[in-house]
Amino acid sequence: MDLRQETNNMMQSSPLNARRAIIWIGRLVLAGIFIYAGYAKLTMGMRPRPPIGVALSFFALQVDSYQMLPTWGVNFVAHTLPFAEVILGLLLLLGIGLRIWATIISLIILGFFGAVLRAYLLHMNINCGCFATPEPVTLKKVFEDGALAALAILMTVFAFIEARKPHPWTAPEKA
Amino acid sequence: MNRRRILAGILSVGLLGFLALFLPFLHKNPEPTSSSGQPLAQSPSETVNSRAESEPPAIPTPVVVAKAASRPPAPQSSAALPDIDPHKAFGSKNAPVTMEVFSDYQCPACKTLFTTTNRRLMDDYVSNGKVYLIHRDFPLPMHAHSRVAARYARAAALLGKVEPVEQALFQNQEKWEQNGDVDGTVAAVLSPAEMTKVRALVKGGTLDPMIDKDYNLGQTYRVNQTPTTVFHCKGQTYPYSGVMTYDILKTFLDQLLSQR
Repeated sequence: MDLRQETNNMMQSSPLNARRAIIWIGRLVLAGIFIYAGYAKLTMGMRPRPPIGVALSFFALQVDSYQMLPTWGVNFVAHTLPFAEVILGLLLLLGIGLRIWATIISLIILGFFGAVLRAYLLHMNINCGCFATPEPVTLKKVFEDGALAALAILMTVFAFIEARKPHPWTAPEKA
Repeated sequence: MNRRRILAGILSVGLLGFLALFLPFLHKNPEPTSSSGQPLAQSPSETVNSRAESEPPAIPTPVVVAKAASRPPAPQSSAALPDIDPHKAFGSKNAPVTMEVFSDYQCPACKTLFTTTNRRLMDDYVSNGKVYLIHRDFPLPMHAHSRVAARYARAAALLGKVEPVEQALFQNQEKWEQNGDVDGTVAAVLSPAEMTKVRALVKGGTLDPMIDKDYNLGQTYRVNQTPTTVFHCKGQTYPYSGVMTYDILKTFLDQLLSQR
């Protein structure tokens, strides 16, 4: 076995090859952002924390400002998204059923990216409603969301690829 | 499940908890700047004629004037709010919810808010003492005629005629925005005697300080676009930028009012 092949084999069997590193980075970054975003929407960054109904109905105003959904859709998104963000973030962090949660998170982030891009292209200049503090939808925000969407997609694709292989940390099966 | 995976998961949670401690500090208040990145140190009245918008947006949109920042200070009640012009405030001062609307007569989104939401809000919440509605002038420097319109509306307010004048200004926004004929638009809804008084007030120069007070107050709230509505209830402040659909606004107001 020549050196190159040996190195390749080592990289493949290492727990820290490039794909696994991206999966880990994606899990940490996206889980952190999702948990923080959900928590910020539920507390509005205020002390004392406003009642949950006030926080959710205020978030509904932010969702409505995108002018993309009917009233029932706005209410549905506003009353489910903050909780979903926290739960999905925790599930992504735990890594159980990674492919399922990574796919769902990728779809949600693609949805965010599409909404922010649309708002930017239509010069809507609304606040993005991403976290507790008001942030205008700017080109920087579009790039941020685009980068997160790219990371989420990469993480999901690599999670599917890696799932086909035996995990390098698991003990080899006895013959 | 592999032990190392569990350990890695625990480490990840710890790392995120550590990050979460520092995330709130990342939202420091930036200095207010114009949309082009220039500081807004210049008085708004000095920059009335500097028209920056080259073409109108495709749909009514709020207009960004400064970067957003964190939440403004929270007055305890409407009595604690500064410089309330009684001629431009509606409803009961003792209402449980106070709404300050920072608006620009030349902004298309402000027109949308006024025409679609304001009337129903007045009927359902302001007239029965649930909401105290304060109109604040926030003429954006990029709009050539908005300060002139604000002067006329202020003058009409002093005569008790703010509602027909605001309605006329918003409904005919596209016309006077093109030709600058604010005077003619206002004259169409006032009697000649009232119009004479309004013109005298506009020329008197006493209205600009009142408009500037509202504008400066908006800057302390870090208003970054029009319309911006600042809700006050139970000592907490909720700033919101953009147009509001009445049904969604109603849900929010009902939630605020149901607080004990």
